[in-house]
Amino acid sequence: MSQDELSGLIARTALGDRVAFSSLYSQTSAKLFGVALRILKDRAQAEDALQEVYVRIWRRAGSFRVGQASAMAWLVTIARNQAIDLIRARQPATLEYDEAPEVADAAPDPEARAVLSGESRRIDTCLSELDADRATAVVAAYVEGLSYQELAEQHAVPLNTMRTWLRRSLIKLRECMSR
Amino acid sequence: MSTGTHRPDDNALAGEYVLGVLPMSERRKVEERMARDSGFAALVASWQTDLAHLDEAYQPQTPPQGVKARVDARLFAEAAKPAGGLWGSLVFWRGLAFASLAAAAAFGIYSGNLVQQPAPGSAPALIAELGAPGSSVGLIAALDPAEGAFTITPAAFSPDDGKSLELWLVPGEGAPVSLGLVPSDGGRLVLDQPLVQQISDGALLAVSVEPLGGSPTGVATGPVVLSGSLSKN
Repeated sequence: MSQDELSGLIARTALGDRVAFSSLYSQTSAKLFGVALRILKDRAQAEDALQEVYVRIWRRAGSFRVGQASAMAWLVTIARNQAIDLIRARQPATLEYDEAPEVADAAPDPEARAVLSGESRRIDTCLSELDADRATAVVAAYVEGLSYQELAEQHAVPLNTMRTWLRRSLIKLRECMSR
Repeated sequence: MSTGTHRPDDNALAGEYVLGVLPMSERRKVEERMARDSGFAALVASWQTDLAHLDEAYQPQTPPQGVKARVDARLFAEAAKPAGGLWGSLVFWRGLAFASLAAAAAFGIYSGNLVQQPAPGSAPALIAELGAPGSSVGLIAALDPAEGAFTITPAAFSPDDGKSLELWLVPGEGAPVSLGLVPSDGGRLVLDQPLVQQISDGALLAVSVEPLGGSPTGVATGPVVLSGSLSKN
């Protein structure tokens, strides 16, 4: 199903159309269950998460804006947020790291340039400009929903180091994508 | 959209939020900031768009049956309106409940081993054996109030194709309240917390046959096939 058709289903769901909502479920639930499973790594929890995700989709369909995000990206964002919130809720609510380490000097705001240039390069092109282990950390954090604590353990570095790495990597990515 | 005033740190923070690495308290703080700072919210949206290319890594997995029915039950069962006819008749319900208990005793179809044995210390607080007079149909619903979920064990009943079974709480007064669809192969039926609080020892449950996906109107439309009351295990 095309993004346009999915957008149409979300729009009709926002109007309270239960038939459209059912179509949306049948077209997208496998993808979103895949998201929940990948992050939660537990079928029962992923099933509970999926239920919550579609309750949210029904309630928030009105906030979807065509053109702001692709329909599937919007849906995946809801699923990722739900799954990540569920695992973070079982972890410490705060982490003992220093306040947000400074990541860069006062370069011109890259985001402003991104807006001016009108198009972004694809994330994978820019990931390839990072050191391989840092690119791996960014992708694992996103896809698997890893916490800073888990990333630090995987890479065998202190928490603060991990955070500094990742924040610098993010700034480099943003700079690359707005070139 | 004004993003020109944002510092690199804000960019990194928005990226951290979208990656999902932050602990819970910081996730909530970022969300509060998104709500009051549209420029910062635009940074988050920009990261979401860029990182969405990584969504290709998520392989579709067919979800278990029954999830959609539970979603619908949560979203659409709340608008229950007072019902007329048999549904409004308390005498009918009490009679049916009594008859179902008699049927259960007569047919001996309800044995404890139909309910999955819970771990010690986590026994369901309330159990209902739902049956109908004169036939060996039935299912067992065990409510764990702490979890807000029923565990449903089907015994010998399944609806015809294209039909769903819907579970109702029948209050002493007023209209039955939908608790959701009976999972076709049994399993968990998660309730909204306000519903859980309406359910207590002695509460009467009933199951009706509804169109696939449940009653379209929020009140039972099909025949009542099973009923029974909750009691302590």
